[in-house]
Amino acid sequence: MPDETPSGALPPIDIPAFSGPLDLLLHLIRIQEVEITDIPIAQITEQYTAYLDAMRELDLDVASDYIALAAELIYIKSRMLLPRAPGEPEEDPRAELARRLLEYEKFKRSAETLHAIDTLRGGLWPRPPTEVPRAEDSDETLEVSMFDLIETFRRVTDQYRLAHPPALAIHQLRFSVRDKMIELLERLDEARTMPLLDFLGRMQYRAEAVTAFLACLELIRLGVVRAFQARPFAEIHASRTELPFSADAIRDTYRE
Amino acid sequence: MSDNPAEMTETAAPSETREEPVPRRDVPIETLLPALEAVLFSSPRPVKEKDLADLLETTVESVARAIAALAESADRPERGVRLEKVAGGWRFVTRPEFDSLLRKFHEVTERSRLSLAALETLAIIAYRQPITLPEIQEIRGVNSASVLKTLFERKLITTAGKKPVVGTPFLYRTTQDFLVRFGLNELDELPRPEDLDADLAATVDAREIAAPTSEPPSIHVGSSIDADDDGEDGDDDEED
Repeated sequence: MPDETPSGALPPIDIPAFSGPLDLLLHLIRIQEVEITDIPIAQITEQYTAYLDAMRELDLDVASDYIALAAELIYIKSRMLLPRAPGEPEEDPRAELARRLLEYEKFKRSAETLHAIDTLRGGLWPRPPTEVPRAEDSDETLEVSMFDLIETFRRVTDQYRLAHPPALAIHQLRFSVRDKMIELLERLDEARTMPLLDFLGRMQYRAEAVTAFLACLELIRLGVVRAFQARPFAEIHASRTELPFSADAIRDTYRE
Repeated sequence: MSDNPAEMTETAAPSETREEPVPRRDVPIETLLPALEAVLFSSPRPVKEKDLADLLETTVESVARAIAALAESADRPERGVRLEKVAGGWRFVTRPEFDSLLRKFHEVTERSRLSLAALETLAIIAYRQPITLPEIQEIRGVNSASVLKTLFERKLITTAGKKPVVGTPFLYRTTQDFLVRFGLNELDELPRPEDLDADLAATVDAREIAAPTSEPPSIHVGSSIDADDDGEDGDDDEED
């Protein structure tokens, strides 16, 4: 929605509790004192969206249902602006909405009746349920809803789950030469040179060590890394060569 | 001592299906009346005349006569409790004018009320039952699952099987507790939606016939409805 300020004709916005988008719409229609069957769509749409904006401003959670109706209003408005295609049956785009509003209003009024009765009858105090002691062997049955049964079943399964924790699942670890190449290169970028064993020795698994070693060989083959030792049998070191090559290049070149 | 209520409730439920004839005899009203009073006094639920007749081994007609006498004797300004017929049965309730007194005594500040959304949903179910959640939401234009849950927890609605359409959603209907709460004997007594305005006054009057002797001053149903008609949205339903 554009950042339009609502026109001055809008009623001051106070937000009573609406039970839903249709309730809000009905409220706006009543304020305007227009017929449900002849809603000034443009005007009502503007007010409706202004309400939603106000609700948002007050940090009220504007439920998606409200937004859905706003979309519907805008759709109706656009249909009313469009010329009818020749041969298209003449039908008021507002008809369906009016029908829904009328039906909804009916139930809203019944709800008001129920509310009135409820308020009236709320002042009547019946006898509260009491525990009547029954014979032990009473085969009296209690009506149980399906949801009580589901709830019971859920409790049983919860208990079962607590008593039987899932078995340890063992996943095969997979290592890729690509990842190890990236790892080695990144470490060498920091340290320039380091004992190769420092890198290979950190590997926890046999397969990981093999992969890391393959990664070394690959980088040496590419001429990115150089392996050297100071003298025979001395510690083998790895270092970065001058060849420009980054971890990102590996990411781009080697598939996962 | 507690035999009576125990027997009564046990016989009350299965009696409808039992075909075995209960020996019946006419019991003089002087004997029947106090017995009925004791049973109804002890029962938290409305008790049907037929169940009372079965229990007391007498005819429904005798029970009806005795109940009428009992209701009449209770329905006096000097009495605090009266007999009401609701959900097809009879029960004792207090007179409405003692509501605030009773609330003070029981230290209850507010009665748990139903939100506007809950009442709307309840009205839709009441008139359209059995009905599914998607159908309710279609009418209300808003997600109604949590409201439905509230009504379910308050035992005002229950399931009524599943609808044989895609997804086989649950069907819902109102319960006996719904009838009791809204003072109806059967669903037919619901005011018809098309002539709600006309029926409203009558319905509310009907609620009051059991207490015709004195108009409870604190309750003005008529005026609250008028206020609603003025276009003011009742904003007094804001819990949940």
